[in-house]
Amino acid sequence: MVLTHSTNHTYSHPFPTVTLAYFLRYSSPQLNPFAAHVLSTDTISSHVDPETQRLYTTRIHLKKSRMPSAVYKLLPASVSGGNSGEKASYILETSVVDIKEGWMKTESRNLNFTGVLSVVEKQHFKVPSSLEAVARNETDVNSSVSFKSRLGEKIRGKIGQAQESSGWVTGFLGGLGAKGIQRSIESLASTKTIDQLSKSRDGMRLVLERLRNGGVIGVMEKLRQERQRQAVAM
Amino acid sequence: MSASLAPECNEVKERYDTCFLKWYSEKYLRGAEKDNKECAGLFNEYQKCLSVALKNRGIDKLLDEAREDNKENDVRLTAPRK
Repeated sequence: MVLTHSTNHTYSHPFPTVTLAYFLRYSSPQLNPFAAHVLSTDTISSHVDPETQRLYTTRIHLKKSRMPSAVYKLLPASVSGGNSGEKASYILETSVVDIKEGWMKTESRNLNFTGVLSVVEKQHFKVPSSLEAVARNETDVNSSVSFKSRLGEKIRGKIGQAQESSGWVTGFLGGLGAKGIQRSIESLASTKTIDQLSKSRDGMRLVLERLRNGGVIGVMEKLRQERQRQAVAM
Repeated sequence: MSASLAPECNEVKERYDTCFLKWYSEKYLRGAEKDNKECAGLFNEYQKCLSVALKNRGIDKLLDEAREDNKENDVRLTAPRK
């Protein structure tokens, strides 16, 4: 089973600015205090399709784990990495911007812990269809997040990310029912993520406000000053 | 600017990010020059540094697995309905 949650939202900023805020949203905790859990951000590919002129970007973010502690409690240390282990997730983010047609589609998914839980977030930003909304400089976004636990399932011959030899997968899951544990993990994770979605929107709104007040040059100048301060402090 | 997952790549990453944001906001969004050639040199330099870190941390393998998963899903979702 897959649990999916979908919402619509309208930003009161024009579409190009919203796409810029999307790229900038993790660039500094000063610009976006809601992104303090983001440890790093790297671009691994970026190209413009010469025919469609769409911009394709792939980035990898390292985030402090968003997996709720209740999920960890369901798992033995051999699967969760234990309490001492680094609880950080690599997130793969792909995005496509079509500035001519006025839309941006993004997808983010976790790269590790996928044997326990896969979370896929998709966002579709677009110039609104009504002329009044366009005149008000608004941008619509539909977001959906889906949760799927494959704990204990065979994935290409491997059993999740668990060690079969630990006897845990067959013993614990076999006894309590793998499906039941999977459903619990999906629902725990979705409750927590839905709380976080509003924070992620607050973060976007803050970045948007700062772009409105200082423009991109102002924002970049702030980031540069911050870097210099960090360099001096080191 | 946010850090790179590989601290040794931070400097070139920041130069690339700055180049990208400038190109994106001043050219791409304004419908001017679509190709971001001006950042290509910095991007290559950045990737040379980053690819080593991705390999050392096993992230290249995670990426391959994610692509494999996508392929499986594509096959499943685009299969003709019975």
